[in-house]
Amino acid sequence: MNGLPILDISGLCKSYGAVRAVDGVDLHVDRGEICGLIGPNGSGKSTFFDCVTGLARPSAGAVKLDGQDITGWSLNDIAREGRMLRSFQKTVVFSALDIEENLVIAGQMFTFPGILSTFGIGAAARNRVAALRERARELIKIAGLWDVRFQPAGKLSGGQQKLIQFASMLMPEPKLILLDEPMAGINPKLIERVVDSIRLANTSFGVSFLIIEHNIDVVTSLCKRVVVLDQGRKLAEGTPDEIVQNQAVREAYLGG
Amino acid sequence: MTEIVRDQTMAPAELPVAETGRDFRVPFGLVLVALACVAPLFLGNYPLHAIIIALIFLLPAHGLNLLLGYTGLLSLAQAAFFGIGAYTSALLAVHFGTPFYLNFLAAGVVTGAVALPLGIPALRLRATSFVMCTLGFVIIGQAIAKNWISLTRGDMGLAAIPKPYFALGPASFTVSGTVGFYYLVLAIAALATLAVYLIVRSPAGRNMIAIRENETLAESVGIPTWYYKLVVFMISAAFAGFGGSLYAHYLTVVSPLTFQMYYSTTMLIIVLGGGAGTISGVIFGSLLFVGLTEALRVAPELRMIAYGFFLLGLVFWFPSGFAPLIGRFWSFLEKRK
Repeated sequence: MNGLPILDISGLCKSYGAVRAVDGVDLHVDRGEICGLIGPNGSGKSTFFDCVTGLARPSAGAVKLDGQDITGWSLNDIAREGRMLRSFQKTVVFSALDIEENLVIAGQMFTFPGILSTFGIGAAARNRVAALRERARELIKIAGLWDVRFQPAGKLSGGQQKLIQFASMLMPEPKLILLDEPMAGINPKLIERVVDSIRLANTSFGVSFLIIEHNIDVVTSLCKRVVVLDQGRKLAEGTPDEIVQNQAVREAYLGG
Repeated sequence: MTEIVRDQTMAPAELPVAETGRDFRVPFGLVLVALACVAPLFLGNYPLHAIIIALIFLLPAHGLNLLLGYTGLLSLAQAAFFGIGAYTSALLAVHFGTPFYLNFLAAGVVTGAVALPLGIPALRLRATSFVMCTLGFVIIGQAIAKNWISLTRGDMGLAAIPKPYFALGPASFTVSGTVGFYYLVLAIAALATLAVYLIVRSPAGRNMIAIRENETLAESVGIPTWYYKLVVFMISAAFAGFGGSLYAHYLTVVSPLTFQMYYSTTMLIIVLGGGAGTISGVIFGSLLFVGLTEALRVAPELRMIAYGFFLLGLVFWFPSGFAPLIGRFWSFLEKRK
């Protein structure tokens, strides 16, 4: 491993007409790090995420993943490589499918690249599907969803869907995961489980994280470094303790 | 212990569509296939004719099911591809006297190829605009068939299309008569069903379902949704083309009426009424709806009205088609075991 950050963003801007939703943000995530991204509502966190992951096109700036310039790549271009994956603020799962199917789909494109090779004919293809299922089952066990694995994902609770989404993102063995409010709208019991899963993925699978989160306890317990956005600009950066003490950050949250 | 029990009882969930995955139950399927094979022994020519039409419409319906039921794209263009397939076969047979299997293959290849330039712009549109666009293809197809008189003979259509004949070296064989055609169509319909089954069960099929369930999420897990939609659009067109070819060779005439919206809606009703996203539902749907239109011929004046009321009833009582009923029937049987 070299010392290069896994994700290196410089001068990222996104304007909608006259509104600058993201205004020249520099941010990096080191290898093996869990980095937090916080800020009041409307501070541009989600837009920032969208620009980094290709859901929106940045107006200016550069995004480097693992040293490679991926600025302006589409969501699909980035996802197909399987190095950096993202979750969505509003949890989404393939609702009609059971958990195992959800996970298998999430891992498929890395096992079967291309279109014609995906018709799954032949023993080799079947073995690969079997291996995918095996991995899916392992992750389902780790996520603690074994008992409900045959239920359609759409019928499960919001928290369980978050866990499915999280487990899905581990299928292709990514290097970096961007989570958009992973704890929003889930009950406190499950919060601990999601936190544990993130920590486990970080330590056992070596996945780095960039996490948008409002729950300050979660941020404090998971992240060593936190970046604060306000009105599209980087307001502060530091350890959770420093951030909590920071006067400017307090004012931003209080609308001062 | 509970784990093991669950594994056995929930086995169907292994299929691609977890909730409606009971597409194929071997014994029941075998009985149906056996029945289909001996049907000419106890069915007269007229019911056999109705089943032939049903099986011909099963092909475009299978195609539409791949597109709508599995990939989540509503298209009304099936009649256009059905017509293109019919005209391709008819023109080849009438002008060049080529054997049936060549006409048949050509119909599928040509419609699949035509779907490429049509699909590229159409699939860029959002849901409702895409539907309107595919509707346009049917109207354009009909206009071309009507007005390109030097090729299609306009409203007079192409007549005297030979019955399917096969030539293999010195041996040749003509399928004439209802029974012969019945077996030909049955074999092709069975192959088409098998093809759909293999596609749907494959990793590609799982990706199609992912696109239907949530396109953005599908993109975020790396599925190239745009290419998938285009390829599935072409495959579904090819299925319609194969159906059109059979239609032309069965009726031995094609006219601009082959391109009619009524056919697109029929295929749509087969898929939605039978159960979008299931194979057995679509087979059931094609038999039921074609059978129903034939059965209602006893009251010609009331036919379309009765058909309309039937559809209304369907929408109210079985909003997701008949397939869930079949599924419920299976789980009922399983519970009794």
